[in-house]
Amino acid sequence: MLSPSHLPLSATLRHDRSGLLMRASHVLVVVFVVAALVFAALGAALGDTFFLRLATEALILGGFALSVDILLGYTGLLSLGHALYFGFGAYVSALMLKQTPSFWLAMGVVLVAAAAFGFLTGLIANRVRGVYFALVTFGLAQVFAKVVYNTRALGASDGMIGIPIVPIELGVVTVMSNAPVAFFLFTLGFVTMLYAVSAYLLDTSFGRVLGALRANENRVPFLGYSTHRARLAIYVFASVVAALSGALYPMLRGFVSPELMFFAASGNAVITVVIGGVGTLVGALYGSVILTVLKSVIGTMTEHHLIVVGLIFMAVVIFLPKGLMGFVRPRVARLLDGGGR
Amino acid sequence: MTEALSIENLSVAFGGIRAVDGVSFVVRRNAITTVIGPNGAGKSTLFNLISGQFRPHAGRVMLDGVDRTGAPPHLMQRAGLGRSFQITNLFFDLTVFENLQLAAQRLDPPHQMLRPISRSTIGLRRVGELVERFGLEAKLGELAGALSHGEQRRLEIAVALAAKPSVLLLDEPTQGMSHGDTADTAKLIRKLGREVTILLIEHDIGLVMDISDHIVVMHQGRKLAEGSPAEVRADPAVRTAYFGDAA
Repeated sequence: MLSPSHLPLSATLRHDRSGLLMRASHVLVVVFVVAALVFAALGAALGDTFFLRLATEALILGGFALSVDILLGYTGLLSLGHALYFGFGAYVSALMLKQTPSFWLAMGVVLVAAAAFGFLTGLIANRVRGVYFALVTFGLAQVFAKVVYNTRALGASDGMIGIPIVPIELGVVTVMSNAPVAFFLFTLGFVTMLYAVSAYLLDTSFGRVLGALRANENRVPFLGYSTHRARLAIYVFASVVAALSGALYPMLRGFVSPELMFFAASGNAVITVVIGGVGTLVGALYGSVILTVLKSVIGTMTEHHLIVVGLIFMAVVIFLPKGLMGFVRPRVARLLDGGGR
Repeated sequence: MTEALSIENLSVAFGGIRAVDGVSFVVRRNAITTVIGPNGAGKSTLFNLISGQFRPHAGRVMLDGVDRTGAPPHLMQRAGLGRSFQITNLFFDLTVFENLQLAAQRLDPPHQMLRPISRSTIGLRRVGELVERFGLEAKLGELAGALSHGEQRRLEIAVALAAKPSVLLLDEPTQGMSHGDTADTAKLIRKLGREVTILLIEHDIGLVMDISDHIVVMHQGRKLAEGSPAEVRADPAVRTAYFGDAA
């Protein structure tokens, strides 16, 4: 028999690098939320609408990018069609809200429908790996986007307009989706919750199996885990996160269009994650703000803003290959590790 | 009591080549059984058939008296099989702690899958045991990819052993090791052999003769002979095929 261990559990846990880095992400999320609250206060004081709504859009796209990082950064799956689920959530939400403007009903239906849709499409996408996975996810998104594009009942190429203003009942207060400050704060809370749930999941034993898949998939079955099942489970989860983010989109903009599912949207989310830092989770939020601001600011100067975005993307890949948070986070982690001693 | 592992008439062919051809033998509980044979004899293929990577075309694999023929690797693991690899197969981008934790967390009850790993008390306790036993205390925070070759080979065995398998398959654990490391590893395996059933592939004949309770000799996909180290050494067919001896 093995001799009883003399190493306390806390002593071994100190060498849990994934856990330490995740705590560093939490710190950076707190910084992000504080900055967002300051921004909201400023916006409210100045009576701004434009920038608050732009920032709300950045948060919604940040929630979407979060789901892409769960796949790419934590499981090693590059999806080039994940906007399919963002668009799916947006369309289901829009259809529901046009029937009855009930926020919670719409979100509930999006949650269940996205899980089912993510499961069925995930069965197809997860038959293959690597480049083929990227191609199949790309193809899936193209197929569904074209179907939506050509379906009159869904507004075809025009999309759907006239999504009503939604009251969001939160017990003590009710947030109107057209109130810039309130809806911004609500979205901030919602996306932070998506982050918290995702971060929790990634720190569980299941989450660690995902990290193992990314690090060395071939070894995972010999640890007693079905790689197929683990990949499918996280694919469904990431689909739900993307769809829940997408569900907020028509509330903000009042319309949905098939472009939400197009490759540009999927590609943008990947670029967001790369700029923010792959495998940092919090990087998706920072990356989304950076990209949204850049697009908007440069967009006012030139309509060829994608050229600038492309150049910035290349610069980040060359000079900051781990992205902004990939650069910042290990430094925060070192501070945390030193402080814990 | 049933045998820990029993292989019956196991066969597989790749493109007409019979890599493993009607091999049968029994692995006794809490003993060390070693498979030897020249390169291409089918030893690693045999391991892959047992651990579920390949599905045999014929024959049976019985683990703890239950027919597990053709079960995929993750189900073989859950049935009590652990294995290491000839070419080091670790999570190189993860720390030593994380490698061990991943392998040990299977010991926790199923609901731990959705709880934070800091709550994985059984798994973490197991990590503590393994770390001491394999002398990896000072390396816990290092990336597995940054370890020396000898340390990686040791970690490879520790990872295979983490979930307390009833049968442990070790594929050339001393591959590429220095003499000193090889001797240490031999000692380690001999100790392990008292608490877990070991099936070993090894090329170092001195080591094999030293630590094995039972030896199976393979040649061109077939079982050439089996017996105690002394019996195998004396077998004329083995001497011809394996030791290249004309006697």
